[in-house]
Amino acid sequence: MRDKKRKETSDEEFFGFAKSYLSEAFPNPQRVGCPPDHQLTLQAEHPQETDPAVIQHVTSCSPCFVRYMEILADLKRLKAG
Amino acid sequence: MAAEGSASFFRLNAVDRHGRRIDPVVLAAVEEVYPRAFAHGLRLLGDPAVVTDLLEEVAADVSQSIKTKDPPGDPEPIRNLPGYIFTTFKRRVNTLKHKELMMLEAAAVANASKLAWTDPSRQLELKILLDEFLAQFDSIVQDMLCRYLVGFSWKEIGKVHGLSPHAAEARFSHAMQQARERLKI
Repeated sequence: MRDKKRKETSDEEFFGFAKSYLSEAFPNPQRVGCPPDHQLTLQAEHPQETDPAVIQHVTSCSPCFVRYMEILADLKRLKAG
Repeated sequence: MAAEGSASFFRLNAVDRHGRRIDPVVLAAVEEVYPRAFAHGLRLLGDPAVVTDLLEEVAADVSQSIKTKDPPGDPEPIRNLPGYIFTTFKRRVNTLKHKELMMLEAAAVANASKLAWTDPSRQLELKILLDEFLAQFDSIVQDMLCRYLVGFSWKEIGKVHGLSPHAAEARFSHAMQQARERLKI
């Protein structure tokens, strides 16, 4: 029980860190290799139909990661509404 | 607002904290359920003043509702007014408690990430784990991570990737577990 609690806390810490880290650690001011916005939207709506390179770029480019988070959050709101 | 008094004996006012009047009939019904409602609210919210304020607000809302729905000359009283008030009050307590828990959860996540950023060795450990996780696993697991960070449920994540909720969660947990085992973190 205690182990489970510890693991949960640790996962919580990991996800909190992941969000902050991916949002800030890879600045790409020149937007080198960034996919267009519609590719990110397609990734959010139909991930099985997009090039795997898109999500791999998203997790190594902070501006794209932040934008993808926004698109996903909008999608979630739309589905909830 | 609740009248001043000892912590164990809070009384109801005929006006709530927003200055809205409470109908005497409603006030009488609230007095009837007060001990039960007070005990329930106190158990969940912990502050007698908050509980009493909330009960007064419910009473004011019900008073307004009765006034709007039952114009003079065409009265149609609520059959079980004390029961109705108690149910409405319980619903408000639950909403308040839910908001409180959500705020605590958000603060815990923010605190956890802040802790990681302020402790260099912990930060390095988490960075290595995240890099390992992203480097070793396919685009589906990486996308699952993004969706999970936004708050998607496993049902939603599974659906978009053509998996059952359980299969999606298992695939993600397995990837996390493998990264941890490989790094012995």
